[in-house]
Amino acid sequence: MSPILYYGFTLLFFFAAYCVLGWGLNLQFGEAGILNFAYIAFVAVGAYITGVTSMGKPVAGSGQSYMFGARFPFPVSLLLGGAVSCLLALLVAFIAFRRLRSDYLAMVLISVSLVLYDVINNYVPLFDGADGLNTVPMPLSGVFHLNANSFLVFFAVAAVVIALIMWLVISRITRSPLGRTLRAIRDDPDVVSSLGKNVFRYQLTAMLIGAFYAGIGGGLIIEFSSSFNTSAWLPPETFLIFAALIIGGMRNNLGVVMGAFVVPVLFTQLPKFLPDIPGHPGLILNLEGAVIGTLLIVTLWFRPQGVIPERRRRFTGFLGGEDSAAPGTSSLMTKGAAQ
Amino acid sequence: MTSAQADAPSPAAALSCRELSKSFGGVAAVNDASFDVTAGTVTALIGPNGAGKSTVVNLVSGFLAPDAGSVRLGEAAVTGWPSHRLARAGMIRTFQLSRELQGLTVLENLLVTPIGQAGESLFNIYFRPGLVRREERRHIERALSVLREYGLYEVRDNWARELSGGQKRLLELARAVMASPRLLLLDEPLAGVNPALIDQIGAHILRLKAAGVTVLMVEHNLGVVEQICDHVIVLAEGRTLATGLMSELRDNAEVVRAYLGGVLDARVDG
Repeated sequence: MSPILYYGFTLLFFFAAYCVLGWGLNLQFGEAGILNFAYIAFVAVGAYITGVTSMGKPVAGSGQSYMFGARFPFPVSLLLGGAVSCLLALLVAFIAFRRLRSDYLAMVLISVSLVLYDVINNYVPLFDGADGLNTVPMPLSGVFHLNANSFLVFFAVAAVVIALIMWLVISRITRSPLGRTLRAIRDDPDVVSSLGKNVFRYQLTAMLIGAFYAGIGGGLIIEFSSSFNTSAWLPPETFLIFAALIIGGMRNNLGVVMGAFVVPVLFTQLPKFLPDIPGHPGLILNLEGAVIGTLLIVTLWFRPQGVIPERRRRFTGFLGGEDSAAPGTSSLMTKGAAQ
Repeated sequence: MTSAQADAPSPAAALSCRELSKSFGGVAAVNDASFDVTAGTVTALIGPNGAGKSTVVNLVSGFLAPDAGSVRLGEAAVTGWPSHRLARAGMIRTFQLSRELQGLTVLENLLVTPIGQAGESLFNIYFRPGLVRREERRHIERALSVLREYGLYEVRDNWARELSGGQKRLLELARAVMASPRLLLLDEPLAGVNPALIDQIGAHILRLKAAGVTVLMVEHNLGVVEQICDHVIVLAEGRTLATGLMSELRDNAEVVRAYLGGVLDARVDG
């Protein structure tokens, strides 16, 4: 396989995976207003659980030790990753959501992320500490007789298909009355509560669905790269996904796609494949943070709504009659119209 | 009136509060406030700044929990209920400063309101889209008719944050009306509103009363209170000072003193 194809499919995979991660965070933060600074921890939990449920029992003397250990077929381990990530969200929500709001909740969440990081990094029997999981089998490679190269192509395409399904699932929510109520909570939870809605229940829903997306994204990443350790989810990684949302356009699933392309793919994964500048080895990778930071500031300054901004939902065409300017164009609930 | 009579909520009371108290760090904002709001009336809650009016509204609407005392909504004892539960029991409140949902359009602000929408359940979104669509259509039709009534139809697709101050006031009221409340709690609905709009909002409140809604409003504009309110509750230093008609209260020296106390005392002293 030519190197260009190898890079191309690797980037395609990360593009798909980060779209999934972006949609999950967008639902939590963009739609429901939950400032989830622990998002990367949910990604990690999804990845680890997917790993240990597809690697089988730890082999004595292999140098790897981890909890549980089972060998479930492909989609099962991935879904388990998503499910356990949801369980963590449930726990966090019940501890922190009832009493805390916005800033304080964000502080608690970043603490959750740091605590989980330290525990997993230092308590080896959990997920092999800092070494992490290294021998995650390539899913379905036995079924389709895949080698390393054909697996790369196969799994990149599979990730795109999974991402498309998850796009359909999430866009149903953001277009529905549920999505509208979440956006109302983002704007003013007191008002929504005064209108008879249990704000906690809705935020919990957003938190759980978002965590599921985080878990699936993490699971895809560990299955693609067959390894995952604590260096992959340093707490600042959360802000990479936040940066993707802000630059691409929050509250718009298409904006998230744009953000996932620009930030994690164009400015994080792609530079890893660029040749070194002669005389300055590693300079490109070290500039990554500075470049993304600059991009973020420029976006906030000149286009705070992001590259593809939130759509204003009009209800033309929904009722027919005088308002039906464009019949047949209305989607499930609303017709989005660019502002 | 004997104390036994005063303690028993009158049968026609849509809302009755008994000995409500709330302190903030040793300062008693509300101190043994007791009053009834008769069903089908417009009742004003007046009093000087710092009298505890907003605290009473927050206690009654579930945004604060009282330190002591009880609240009854019709027949039900609702002391300490969270705000969303009170709203479902028919009590909807508005806020002193307009709190429009900025990132939603004007129409969406109203569409958020109906309680228990089919489209708020994940199951219905995926498996019963027809039901969701039919219900949504009903809500949109009703919301548009409320917007027409409140003069906001033309701006229905604008972001709520783009409205003028007066329009935001109207939106706040329209959103509450969309919830079909039995008891409406209005916290200074006329604050910062021009005279023409004051008349308009006053007319809306009277129309709501005619439709059977009980209204309790905090208001400083005594001219308006006299015009549209059936009863007045005067609050001073966290206590219920007097209740009655505005015309009666004008002659009540205690009320006048509470409102104009500083000025009168200064005159006497000088």
